[in-house]
Amino acid sequence: MPPFKTGLKRKIDKNNSKQDTEKVPEAKGSTLVEDEDLIKGELDHDGDDTDSEPEDGEKAGSDAELDEVLFDGSEVSELEESVEDNDKASGDSSDLTDSEADDDDNSSQDDRSSTDNDESKENKKGLNRDEDSGDESGIGQTHSSGSETEKKPEKVKKKTKNIRQDLRKQDKVKQSKTSIDRLADDINTTRISTQPVEQKDEYESGDTSDEEERRNTVGDVPMWWYNEYPHVGYDLDGKRIIKPPQRDQIDEFLKKCEDPDFWRTVRDPSTGQDVILSKEDLQLIHRLREGNVPDPTHDQYQPWVEWFSREVLATPLRAFPEHKRSFLPSKSEQRQVARIVHALKMGWTKTRKQIARERRMKREKNFYNLWGSSTAEEEERLRGIHRHIPAPKRALPSHAESYNPPPEYLLDAKEMKEWNKLSETPWKRQYTFLPTRHASLRAVPAYERFTRERFLRCLDLYLAPRAIKMRLTISPLDLVPKLPSPRELQPFPTGEALALRGHAALVRSADFDPSGQYVVSGSDDGTLKVWECSSGRCLRTVALGEPVSRVAWIPAAGLSLVACAAGARLLLLNPGAGVGAHRTADATDRLLQEPPPAHDVVMDERTASCVKWERVEPHDWAKGVRLIVTHFRPLIHLSWHARGDYLCACVRDGASRSVLVHQVSRRRSQLPFAKPKGLVQCALFHPTKPMLFVATQRVVRVYDLVRQELVRKLLTGAQWVSAMAVHPGGDHLLVASYDRKCVWFDLELSSQPYQALRLHAGAVRAAAFHARYPLFATAGDDAAIVVCHGMAYNDLLQNPLIVPLKQLKGPEKREELCVLDLRFHPTQPWLLAAGADATLRLYS
Amino acid sequence: MPMDIAEVQLQVRFVTKQEQYAVPDNPYAIQSNFQVSDLNTLLNALLKETLPSFEKAVEFDFLVCGELLCTPLAEHLQEKSISTEETLEIEYLERFPAPSPQDCLMHDDWVSAVQAHGNWILSGCYDNSIHIWSTKGQHKLAIPGHTSPVKAVSWVSFNGDQAVFASGSHDQSAMLWVWNVSNNSVDCVVTCRSHNKGVECLAVSADSLRFATGSWDNNICLWSTSLSNEDNMPPKKRSKPDHGNTREPLTTLKGHREAVSGVKWMDYNTVLSSSWDHLLKLWDCELGGIKQEIAGNKAFFDVDWSPLNNSIIAASADRHIRLYDPRSTESIVRTTFTSHSGWVQAVRWSNTRDTLFLSAGYDNQVKLWETRSPRTPLYDLSGHEDKVLCCDWSNPALLVSGSSDNTLRIFKAKHAVTNA
Repeated sequence: MPPFKTGLKRKIDKNNSKQDTEKVPEAKGSTLVEDEDLIKGELDHDGDDTDSEPEDGEKAGSDAELDEVLFDGSEVSELEESVEDNDKASGDSSDLTDSEADDDDNSSQDDRSSTDNDESKENKKGLNRDEDSGDESGIGQTHSSGSETEKKPEKVKKKTKNIRQDLRKQDKVKQSKTSIDRLADDINTTRISTQPVEQKDEYESGDTSDEEERRNTVGDVPMWWYNEYPHVGYDLDGKRIIKPPQRDQIDEFLKKCEDPDFWRTVRDPSTGQDVILSKEDLQLIHRLREGNVPDPTHDQYQPWVEWFSREVLATPLRAFPEHKRSFLPSKSEQRQVARIVHALKMGWTKTRKQIARERRMKREKNFYNLWGSSTAEEEERLRGIHRHIPAPKRALPSHAESYNPPPEYLLDAKEMKEWNKLSETPWKRQYTFLPTRHASLRAVPAYERFTRERFLRCLDLYLAPRAIKMRLTISPLDLVPKLPSPRELQPFPTGEALALRGHAALVRSADFDPSGQYVVSGSDDGTLKVWECSSGRCLRTVALGEPVSRVAWIPAAGLSLVACAAGARLLLLNPGAGVGAHRTADATDRLLQEPPPAHDVVMDERTASCVKWERVEPHDWAKGVRLIVTHFRPLIHLSWHARGDYLCACVRDGASRSVLVHQVSRRRSQLPFAKPKGLVQCALFHPTKPMLFVATQRVVRVYDLVRQELVRKLLTGAQWVSAMAVHPGGDHLLVASYDRKCVWFDLELSSQPYQALRLHAGAVRAAAFHARYPLFATAGDDAAIVVCHGMAYNDLLQNPLIVPLKQLKGPEKREELCVLDLRFHPTQPWLLAAGADATLRLYS
Repeated sequence: MPMDIAEVQLQVRFVTKQEQYAVPDNPYAIQSNFQVSDLNTLLNALLKETLPSFEKAVEFDFLVCGELLCTPLAEHLQEKSISTEETLEIEYLERFPAPSPQDCLMHDDWVSAVQAHGNWILSGCYDNSIHIWSTKGQHKLAIPGHTSPVKAVSWVSFNGDQAVFASGSHDQSAMLWVWNVSNNSVDCVVTCRSHNKGVECLAVSADSLRFATGSWDNNICLWSTSLSNEDNMPPKKRSKPDHGNTREPLTTLKGHREAVSGVKWMDYNTVLSSSWDHLLKLWDCELGGIKQEIAGNKAFFDVDWSPLNNSIIAASADRHIRLYDPRSTESIVRTTFTSHSGWVQAVRWSNTRDTLFLSAGYDNQVKLWETRSPRTPLYDLSGHEDKVLCCDWSNPALLVSGSSDNTLRIFKAKHAVTNA
């Protein structure tokens, strides 16, 4: 309860009390009413003397009693009991009938006054002490209110009595005057008549201790809602709080006249009862009105001590240390802020600024450009400007163009002479104008070519074709494809392991036997040598008398046969028993000893004219030669079919007859082509399918041998094809050319090269694929053999991966030639190079 | 940097397994830049102090952290990242004495195979002949018989005057010969024909009852060495290989996919083989199956196994020699020995020392290796002028190598130290 309210006291309206006393039957009066009546009665009827005297006496007595209490502890309990008894008596008195109450009145009154005084003192202390002392203070209030109402109005009462009586007389006059007033009176009276019943109920429930506490439970609702009703709300028991009787204007006026406390009587809106403000209340109001601190004891002019200043004191004002919390950032705050920030980030909430901006944007008016367009480009398009190119800017004028150029810009006699000399070709002159000196700007004549030049400039702008230069900023490194490192692509040959020495002239060609045990090589010194691969030992030398241009070991494992091109002769040799495989050698000999029956060896005339299968002389047989096929022109290339029965030979300048296919088992030949297709360089069989690759000078043609038709024409883009190698899978082709290029064809992809490799500084003369490892090598006239990783995938969607791996140092250069043939070992990652320095090199 | 290290003092303790050279177990403080020679001086001085009988200076080798010391001590420690703060334990052992060149036996052609035994040296030659030499360098006999280069030779047994040896050749046959020492006459007793391609390697089992041949036809054949045939036919005198007794193999071990380049008996039932298909295989002879495989990534040229330390060394188509453990199931290279600059063609363990082996390379070098020194061989036995094709250390006193410069060189291991 706020302190200023504690001063509020309730005073029961005198009219009300009068009406009560007059009209309410005494039997019905509740304790509260009776209490009020009792007080009223006392106030009204008892004289000042009676009132004051016992009070004083009681006061003294009470004081004495208090003293006694203070001195004698035993009496304290008695006194308290007596007080309690009094209270009880007063409480009991509610149950008693009026007559009995009357008897008790005096005694209770006395007791009461004494206790009142005590308690009022206590109350005052309590009020100062604390505000929420609970029920006791509430009781105290009621008592104090009671005691004060007793004291103050009583002094004025005698004076007002007479005035009131006069006013009553006037009332009667007024009543007689107006019927309306009479009606109002009637209403009032009727109201009044109903009231006591309600009142009685109201006081029955409560006990005397909080009899004055008429709590209205309606809450904070506008009280005019109850204007129409006889009650103003409900008390704690849910019973109606009946409005105290309304006073009419006359009553008001009379009250105003006779009640000296009228000016300080206010109506409690919640109960509708009048409350007379006490002196303290008035003081409080006065202080509030003046804008002072409500507490009268407060000294607003006391000296100001600035306890909490920014100055650092030697000792802290507060004894306790700062809490740890004050040094740590708050977790919950952080969480809160984080939540807000997250919401902002996600766009769930917006900052005030954003909201304001949005609101502003919304408020701004949007105009639709009806005739224009939204963007600059659109604008230009609408205006008919397509990709406008700004006119080139002219150079700024130089010093020479000045009207008064520095003397070094002026032409001297020699330069003038030159100037005149170039009059026929004026664009060769140093300047397009003659630097001239004028005394002043005024003296500068008009430029005679102005019009013409301006016209030409306009023509330039109008007619000169201009284009925007599209500049791409791509670093060259970005264009290089990402390739795996060579280390991951091992094994591949990395260095020379063996040099096979023995030939006397450059080695034209070399080949491995199918198991990789032997190497055969053919040289310009007219010999064919067979070597042991692992040791580099020359096991056999066959002198053929003619430079050997090409050797090829039969790919079939069960036979021991080497095809060798010496001049125009194709020799099939058995390297023989000296070279390992006895039994295969014998088997081969047996196979070749007898020619097949003659009817099998029928060849047409055209073929017969260019090929002649010859009988082998005994001394040749002893050398190992088993078959001789003489061609009409020198042979340039030989290649075996994978099965080892067919042999494809190319002759130089043979025109339409440059490619021949020999069948060894039946000793017959075929001319597959009827028409010349260019200079044939080499021809190779497809490793698995019946197809033939024929390389002419610039084009590689792929023929289907079964259907006898051209399947594909591969445009190499090279000037002169030198060699060719087919991937063991048969879908890829590597073509080497004399113009330093190697071209990889993916036959599944297109007839255009998949990739052109420029890895050599000179003509490329040899190319080879490895049969097992994804390796290929190329070599030529420069002293380097390039080994590359060439992975062809089975997946058609994946392009072959080509990674240059290693540059191997080739054999020595002789007469601009270096490497003439390359072969990979059939099983190991070893590479054999036939060199121009009469050696064969094995790289591993 | 080496200068900084030079200032450091090291605490070392010398230990040895050779009892005759034991020194007191005291720690010594030495400079960290000590070389092997410095250590040798120190140790000899120590030995002189402790052993009254010790007179002649002995050369020692020093093992630091299981590796032979070749460089200055500081460098070695840095390489091994060993702290110089703690007391270092240096094991020392008498150095294997440097082999001295003893003889050079001239042949008519490349020497492709060689084996010494006792006083006799057997060599195979590319001119299809087999030669018998005494260890003194005396040419005893040249035996023509094969029709192709002889690729492998091996002594089988000595029985008084009768010596038996086997040879394998590229003519697809292996031959068993009996040599009468006193008469100096030789007989081809049996010709073994089963291979379809040249015989590349040959090995006789420890009990001399069987021998194995590896060939280019990817097979290994096991043969009996008994001189008599089952029907007890007396061997013909001076029989030509074409007319001699032929014999069928006891077992043919098929499984390699490329040429078999080396065979070696491990025990009476196990054959180790190396092949060009990058595999080493251990065969069970009775079952004819593969016991174990060791995969390399290069073609193997030769293999040898030592009963002393039960490890395999293999030469492959590169500069390295690799040491494998046959007991491990994974193909892990235990040590790689790198010093040759060309292909290594042959490797042979020592019969007496478990840490020594011999290798022959195409860089004209024969190298003597210590297994605890993977970078540096103990000795380079140079002298050959061309590719060295074969080497042998069957006689512990003789290091024999044959080369493509038509010579067979003999190095004498000065005094074969018994294994410590």
